[in-house]
Formats: sequence, structure tokens, C-alpha cells
Amino acid sequence: MSIVTKETIEVTAQSIGITNLSPEAALMLAPDVEYRVREIMQEAIKCMRHSKRTTLTASDVDGALNLRTLEPTYGFASGGPFRFRKAIGHQDLFYTDDREVDFKDVIEAPLPKAPLDTEVVSHWLAIEGVQPAIPENAPLEVIRAPAENKIYEQKDAPLVDVRLPVKHVLSRELQLYFQKIAELTMSKSNPALFKEALVSLASDSGLHPLVPYFTNFIADEVSRGLNDFRLLFNLMHVVRSLLQNPHINIELYLHQLMPSVVTCLVSRKLGNRFADNHWELRDFTANVVALICKRFGNAYITLQSRLTKTLVNALLDPKKALTQHYGAIQGLTALGHNVVRLLILPNLEPYLSLLGPELDAEKQRNQMKSYEAWRVYGALLRAAGLCIHDRLKIFLKLPSPSPSFLHKGKGKIINAVPRKRKLSADTTENQPPHKRLITADGPDGLQLQNHTGPAPMPVDKPMGNYNLTQNSVQPSSSQQASDGNESESRNAKEKEGGKGRAITRKAILSQIWKDDLDSGRLLVKLQQLYGNRILPFIPSTEMSLFL
Amino acid sequence: MDPEQVDEFVMGYLKKKGFNSAAKQLQEALHHNNGGNFNSTDYHNDPELTKLIRSFSQSENDPTRYRDGYSKLRSWAYNSLDLYKHELLRVMYPLFIHCYMDLVGKGHTQEARSFFNSFRKDHEMVHLRDLQKLEGVLVPSHLEEMEFARSLRQSKVNIKICQYSYDLLLQYLHRTESTLMLGIINEHINFQVYSGQPNSSSDDIDAVTIVGSFQETADHVNQKEIQWGLLEDSLEDRLEKTGSLLTDSEKGQGEKDGDMDDSKKRSSEIGKQGSSIKKLKKDKAGNATAKVARQETSTVSPAPRVKPELALPVMSTDVEESILEDLRNRVQLSSVAMPSVSFYTFVNTHNGLNCASISHDGSLVAGGFSDSSVKIWDMAKIGQAGNGALQSESDTNDQIVGPNGRRNYTLLLGHSGPVYSATFSPPGDFVLSSSADTTIRLWSTQLNANLVCYKGHNYPVWDVQFSPFGHYFASCSHDRTARIWSMDRILPLRIMAGHLSDVDCVQWHPNCNYIATGSSDKTVRLWDVQTGECVRIFIGHRSMVLSLAMSPDGRYMASGDEDGTIMMWDLSTARCITPLMGHNSCVWSLSYSGEGSLLASGSADCTVKLWDVTSSTKSTKAEEKNGNSNRLRSLRTFPTKSTPVHALRFSRRNLLFAAGALSKPAS
Repeated sequence: MSIVTKETIEVTAQSIGITNLSPEAALMLAPDVEYRVREIMQEAIKCMRHSKRTTLTASDVDGALNLRTLEPTYGFASGGPFRFRKAIGHQDLFYTDDREVDFKDVIEAPLPKAPLDTEVVSHWLAIEGVQPAIPENAPLEVIRAPAENKIYEQKDAPLVDVRLPVKHVLSRELQLYFQKIAELTMSKSNPALFKEALVSLASDSGLHPLVPYFTNFIADEVSRGLNDFRLLFNLMHVVRSLLQNPHINIELYLHQLMPSVVTCLVSRKLGNRFADNHWELRDFTANVVALICKRFGNAYITLQSRLTKTLVNALLDPKKALTQHYGAIQGLTALGHNVVRLLILPNLEPYLSLLGPELDAEKQRNQMKSYEAWRVYGALLRAAGLCIHDRLKIFLKLPSPSPSFLHKGKGKIINAVPRKRKLSADTTENQPPHKRLITADGPDGLQLQNHTGPAPMPVDKPMGNYNLTQNSVQPSSSQQASDGNESESRNAKEKEGGKGRAITRKAILSQIWKDDLDSGRLLVKLQQLYGNRILPFIPSTEMSLFL
Repeated sequence: MDPEQVDEFVMGYLKKKGFNSAAKQLQEALHHNNGGNFNSTDYHNDPELTKLIRSFSQSENDPTRYRDGYSKLRSWAYNSLDLYKHELLRVMYPLFIHCYMDLVGKGHTQEARSFFNSFRKDHEMVHLRDLQKLEGVLVPSHLEEMEFARSLRQSKVNIKICQYSYDLLLQYLHRTESTLMLGIINEHINFQVYSGQPNSSSDDIDAVTIVGSFQETADHVNQKEIQWGLLEDSLEDRLEKTGSLLTDSEKGQGEKDGDMDDSKKRSSEIGKQGSSIKKLKKDKAGNATAKVARQETSTVSPAPRVKPELALPVMSTDVEESILEDLRNRVQLSSVAMPSVSFYTFVNTHNGLNCASISHDGSLVAGGFSDSSVKIWDMAKIGQAGNGALQSESDTNDQIVGPNGRRNYTLLLGHSGPVYSATFSPPGDFVLSSSADTTIRLWSTQLNANLVCYKGHNYPVWDVQFSPFGHYFASCSHDRTARIWSMDRILPLRIMAGHLSDVDCVQWHPNCNYIATGSSDKTVRLWDVQTGECVRIFIGHRSMVLSLAMSPDGRYMASGDEDGTIMMWDLSTARCITPLMGHNSCVWSLSYSGEGSLLASGSADCTVKLWDVTSSTKSTKAEEKNGNSNRLRSLRTFPTKSTPVHALRFSRRNLLFAAGALSKPAS
């Protein structure tokens, strides 16, 4: 009937040593105990209110007991609310979670840090009625118009609430901020400062009111500045920073932002100078796109599908420029292995056959075109390779002779089993003549191109050629699990090369061999382990390699 | 009625009351007389009456009768006509609690509990707290012990009811012979029957508080006359007089001049209203006299002036000058000109901050902690971040930063229990703190030392407040009293007794002649400082009153409660102008802006809200007759990140200061 039952009284009596409590007494006591407990709690709540708290603590109960001149409870004033646990099997039986503590642990534990002393810090909660967007203030959900309520002021007019259209008001500070960021983005002269600005964009709270302005700005500038490579890059950086900012709800403006971003990914031409490394921009943008899909893909289910559709269309349209194909491939790759598997791999064979003539140095005279083709080829390779790599990672969990080996991938040849070594020896044996052939070819092309433009071009070419020849000669066992980073690093190395190009090339070649060896091993491993199950992947990858 | 029947009723009565031997004797005697004729008595001569009397004789002790009677009446009331329903339902609550207490009183604990639980839901919305109190009452002795229950038992509830509802109710009760319910109604309810249509259901404030004969006392008390006007010869008056001179000499004061004109107009306006409603002393004054005087015995010249009721100290000329300067520079606030809010956040308090207080110029912040300490921060000297807030408060208080170089606060130790309240004297040179150790201590912020310990209360002192002129202060305590003190006496000057529960907060009227107290008995009272009498009782809150504020013109008062409701009262009529709903947790603090146009409220829901109170008061004046008084509106809500707002203060220049302890959001 009441909260305190007769049994409770009996148990309590036993616990304090009264064994001969008559049931009648217990029955009489029960309601009185409940009344007293309620009384104490009522006083405790008063103490809590006067301590300006909304959570009842043990100290409040002590205060209440003090008010009644009773002994306070001991051993509970540990600060902080208690964690209560539900007793299993009982509906409303709770107990405090009181772990046993080992003395040893207590003694051996390092001294706890001294608690920090109380401090008072001040900030502006509002300035003339408007909350400034500073980190100390709670982020605003909606910026509301200041009350321009002349209507309310008219004393005699019938008091009707006239809703004024909500006016979007930007504080002076925010306007300045926006201007500064826009200037920095446009100027491209101060990269250090721009970096700072990006950090600020990615972390500051209170930028939300600026988001529509930024999206507008980005859309405008992208459409206007397609020839300005640096600007585009900066803009994409801004986009990424905005995406990273946890205080901004950019969702609402995605529809404005996406076209600009996709433009930067698959536009025919980005930047007007030959030197502009628009490949890099495309790579970066691909990552941004992936970021967007990752964050908002769940909320907007159609987002990713629409995006992939756009990209695949771009990829499969033979009329589109190779640069566009490249962007599409990179975008798809960034979206994950599943996307690659589903959308790129099935199209790989026909596409490569399409690409074939472009790749062929004989048929394609235009160096520029050929370079682009190789770029596209590299991207495809990377996509497929990453996909395979991913698959391998998944399989790693299964028992296998040397899982660590598989996992680490590159540069672990020392561990390689003799059989593999033999294999590698095979490849090296077979390769030299062809390679030399190509390298002999190479320099001419390189020198030619050195006049027209500096940079990464030469890099891929030898690599591609190398693959090509290798494939044609030796249609077995080796596969290039090409990796973007790798080719990047090779790029860099090659650039540095200068006069000692031959030496560098040698280094590169050895690197490539390593890679080859590695990937070859991977494939073999794959076949060993999975036989037919891997077959759906292998033909296409092999196709890419052994064409 | 024939004699046999009478005999039978007597028998029944005797049996019921337990006089068994007497009943036996009677029976024997009857047998003797009638010789077995007893059984043949004709019961049915007057069946109605018989039934009635039988019901009396049979089942008075039967606990289920309460439940039956109540539930029948309840279902009838719920099915009654919509127009009269709310009036009839109003009757149910007193019936409910009295049924319950009857059951408890007769020792049917179990039945009482099940009765209570089955109908509790009906009343939870309005009377939750009362129910929680009553719930614990389980044995008859509790009824005696518990003051709330006792006062309920001893008093009658007034219920206004229209003629028709009243007739309906009586008819029903007679028809169904619910004598039990009828008995309770007769015993505990006092119907005030009026003719005409029933009142709208929203106007049931009277029904909210059922605290005995309160209503009558309150009505009686509220007849008394109060003088809510401001003090004569206030600084603002002087400012007006000298205003033209000063502004001539100063450049760029045109704007302020305008402000002053404005306030002059308003003050005369107030004066007119006042005299029309009450006999108002010609206390013509501006709006912010509350904050005008800031002087202290330590700085005063020896000759005290006699103000209306209290002997108030006189301020020194330099203090006066600085105040005048502040008033001249005050920003005029309104619903279109919002104040700036500077927020002082206490960090690393480890849940220990019980109260915070801000000095009148905003430069000093005091915190009272549960570890018995009082800490004072001089914000003018701390952290450059704080300067912005203080720039406009160029007060030249020479405060001393903590003696310890490492600490940047002054630690005041002396109390032996949690400190529940702290208050600054108007010039900021003294601090008073009150504690659970039942004492109030006076500290000097210049000496950083304890000067006096005031002992008088018998229980924890919940709140202490300096008067607007300093020197005097008021305190209130768990012992259900509020007391008036002066700094130079260690014993209280007045004791205000009358609240039925803890007095939780206290606030001075701007003219120093009254104090207001808010209590756990859900009322706010206004007391005459000179006589110590209660002059107003404000009934309407549904839970404990936690904060109070007086408008600078002395006409209105705002009070905030545990549920987050703020009520705005007209002091002269003791009526609630309008409840301000918006907060959803305890309202810890309230403050009026200097000219009284805005009310700021700080709450445990981590927001500061600004309310436009001019519109409300204006519209009430205009629309009092139309009955549409609900024109008060919330202007702004400033959410903090995770800081419940403990204290608020408008400085004399109308900069709003707020303080609170950063608390980690509950996970």
C-alpha cells in the first residue's frame, strides 16, 4: 500500500540488530517511516532550490537532516549525482553502483590532479539586444530580426500583431569577416593567411548566418572563374572548410553548392595555363564530393545516386574530353570501393578498348592527348587497384600464410617466400630488354616536352609505357596495384631528377619492380586463396594490365 | 412514526456506536414490553426516511462509502453541462482531499491510499505540490502534526459558484442521498453564490490556493492602504533640476536631455495615476530612484534626514555626483532599444556555487559557496576580456584584489554552513552574506574582513538584501520569518511573521517603506517596515516563489516561481496583471531596467529573457475594462551555452549584468 512496506521495516530492524520486532509494530511503523522520509525530502528539496540547483544531492539531504537536528548521513557526499542501477528481475528496485576498490590500485594510482580553482570569466551575452556569435555563446539556430515594432508602439491603434517579414540582418562583424575571407580567396597572394582563414572557417561557431553568402559567392566565382585555376582551388578549400565546421548546418545550401563542386570535378577545362595542375584540383574536389556524400548521404538518399549518375554519364560519353573522364573516375573512386566495383569495373573493358588507341604512342601523335589518356589510365588503374586492395583487406581476416605481409603490402619483400622471389626474379629477367627499349625512347619525349611545359607529364609516360610493354611481353603473374600516392611520389622524384634523370629513373624502376612484385604476389595470393570467387574481379583488372 | 420504529433506530444507533450492552438492555426491555412483537414492526410507513436513517445507522464506518460517493459525484460532474462543468469540477478538489483526510483520520490507511491513487490524476495538474505533501500523511497523528493538513481541516474553502451550478449540485446530492459528500461540503466548503452566468474557466486563480481561511485574510489585508510612491527629493529630481545647467556645460548631451524630458513626463504621468488611485504623497520622481541612493554609514555626514518612515542615511557628495553622472549617461531602453548583456560565468565551481551577486555598478561579483566561503571578484581588474563590459561603468571604486597573488579573488571565510545569499551595499563597500549556520555576516570589501555577525534567525537564512539606500537590510529564513536589520545593531529591528512556510526571498520596495517576501506557501506578501504589519498578500503562484523584483517606479512587482512562471503584480490592488510564461524551470533572478520598461529574468533553463513590461502596463490601463490584460510579451531570449542564470542586475546606466555557474550538461 505504501512505498515503505512492512518487510522493509523488518529488514531494516534486523540490520540494526532488533530481532524481536513484532509484525504489528512493523505495520505501525511503516506509514510513519514513509511520512518522515517524505518530510526530509521536502526539506531537502528546499535546500536544493536555495543552492540554485535542479538535481538533488546527498548534501541536500544532509542539510535537511540538519534542519531537523538529526545526524547527517555519512559516506555519500562524494559530489556529483549517484549512478543507480536497476536490480535485475525487479521492476523498481535500484541500488547504487558501488564497486569494490582494491587497495593496491588506490595506492599505486598516481596522485589525482588538484581541482582547478574557481574563476569568473566574462563575455557579452548580447550587445544591444543581439547575441554576438562568439564561442562563449550558444550557437544560434535562427537569426531573428530585431524588433522593428513601431506598430506596437502606437498606443491607441487596435492591438493587432502585425508580422513583419523576417529581415535577415548581418552584424557588422560578420560582414567584415565575409569580406576578408572573400578577399583572401580571390587574392591568392597570401597562402599562410589563407590557411589561417580556412582553419577559422572550419572551426568558428556563429558563422551560420554567412553560409548563404558563402554558397552564393562560391557558385558565382566558380561559374566566372573557370579559367582561374588558383581561385578554383581556393574555393574548393573554402567548401571543404565549411563542410568541416561542426557549427554550421550546411545541409540547407547543398543544392546550391553541389553544381559548383561537380563543375570543379568534371569540367572540360579548369584553368587556362598549361602549367595548371588541374589534375590535383580534380583529386581534391573528388575528396570533397566524397566528404559531402559521407555526411549527407544518409539524410538525402538520392544525393549519391544522382551524383554517381552524373559521373558515370560523363565517363561513358566518348564525346567528352579525357579530362572529364578523369574527373569522373576520381569522383567515383573517392566515393568508395563499392561504387568502383559497381560502376567502373563493369565498364572497364569497353572503356579501355576505347582508350587503347589514345594510349598508343604510335597512333596518337598529339603528346597532350596521349598524356591525358595516360592520366585517365592511371586513374582507372588506381580505382581498380584500390578496389582489389580493399577486397584483399576484407579477406585478410581469413587464415592465410602471411597475413601481415598481405596487409602491409609494399616494401616487405624481405619476408617473401622463395617461390615469390623466384617469380620476381623471373620478371626482372624478362623485363630488362623492353624496359631499356622504352627508356631509350623516353628521353626524346621528355626532352621534347620539357620545352613546352615543365612538370609531371614525363612521369606517367614512362610508367605507362613500362606497363604496356611489360604486359604485352609477359601476360602473366604481375599486376600493378597502382596507388595514387605512389605515382605522386614518383612524380616528385622525377621532377627533382633534372640532369641525373637516368639515375632517378633507375630508382623509380626499382621501385616499380617492387610494386610489381608486390602486386603480383597479391594477385597470386588472391588466386590461391579464392580461386573462382575472385574471378569476377580478375578479368577486368587483368584486362587493365595486360591489354 | 410509531414508537417501535423509533426504538429500532435507537437500537441501530447504539449498535453502531458500539454501546452493545446498552443495546442489549434496550432489546431486552423491548422484548419485555412487546413480547416478540419487535420483528413485526412495519418498516415501510415512510420508506424514504427509513432508508435515510438506516443509512446513517449502518454504514458510517464503511470506508468504501467515500470512494463510492466521490466517484459518483465525479462522474456526474464530468458529465455535466460544459458551461457549468468547470465550476463543478472546482468543488471536486476540496472534496477529494477531505475525503482522503477523513479516511486517514479514521485509520483506514489502505483505503485512503487506494482512494488517493485512483483519483490523484484529476488534480495533479494544478495541485501537484499539495498532493505530494498530503501523500505522505498515512496515520491520524500525521494529520495533527502536519501544519498544512491541520490548516486544511480547520478552515473552509471559498468557492465562487453561480446560482445554477449551485442548484445543480445540491439537487444531485439530495437526489442521490450522498449524505457523506453533502456533509463534507457543508463542513469545509463555503460557497459564494452569485447570480448570472458562470465565470470563464481561466479565472480560477482562487481555486488554485486552498490554504485555509487565507482568502478572507488576504482580502482583508489587501484593503489596507499602501503608499507605493517614491521618496521625495530623490536624486533624479535633483538631476532634473540641475539637468539644464549640466547639459549646457557638457557637449553632446542633447540626446540625454531628451531622455530626461521623457522621464520627467512619465514621472508626472505616474504621479497623476497614483493620486487618482491612492492618496499619494507628492513623491514625484523619475524612474530609477531605486538605484539612486547609494550611501553608507561609513561615508555619510552625521545628520540623517527623516524620510517618510525610516531614518535614511545621507550620501556623500562625491558618491552623489557619480550617481548623477551615471544617471545622465543612462541608456534609454525600450522594446526597440535593447540592453547589452554582460555575462559573468563561474567556472570550476564543482557544483558548489549557491548564489551569486553583482554590485550595483557591475564591477564586483560575489559568489556564496556550499563550502561556507564567500568569494569576491573584482571584474574591473580581472582579465581584459571583462573590460568591455565595464567600460561604461567608470566607477572609481578602489577595491582591493585578493591578498594572495595567485588568487584573483578575495576569499572571505567565517560562515560554518553553506552560504545561501550575498548582497552588495549600493556603493559596493560592504557585502552581506547569509548562511545555513543561521547567521548573517557583514564584510568589508575594503578591509576584506568580517565586521559583524548578526544572529537572530533560528534556522538557515535563505536570503538577505540591502535596502536601496544601504544601512538597512532584510533577511528571511526557514524559520518562517523575515527580519529587518540595521548595520549598527546586532539584533533585528523588526520581525515579520505570518508566512505559513519558509520565506524564500525578500526584496525592498524602492521607497524603503516596504519589503516583499516570497515563500514556499506560494504567496508573496508585502510588509510595512515601520509597523511590521503585513499589508498585501499576493496569491496566484502554483509553487514556491524564488525571486522578486520591484519596478523602479514602485508601482509593480514581479515574482518568479519554481515552475518558471513569472507574475507581475500591481501593488495597490494586489492583483496579478499577467503571468509571464516562457521559462520552463526555476526563475532564479529578476531585474527591472533603470526606467522600468524592461524586465529581465534568469532561469535554470539556461536562458535570460527580456520582457516588455511597458506594453503590458499600458495596455492594462487601457484595456482593464475590456478584460484583455494579457499583453505582456517576451522580447528576447538569450540562451547561454550551459549556464543556469543565478543573478541579474541592471546597472544604473542600464547595462545588464548576469552571472551563473557553468554546469556540464546532464548526460
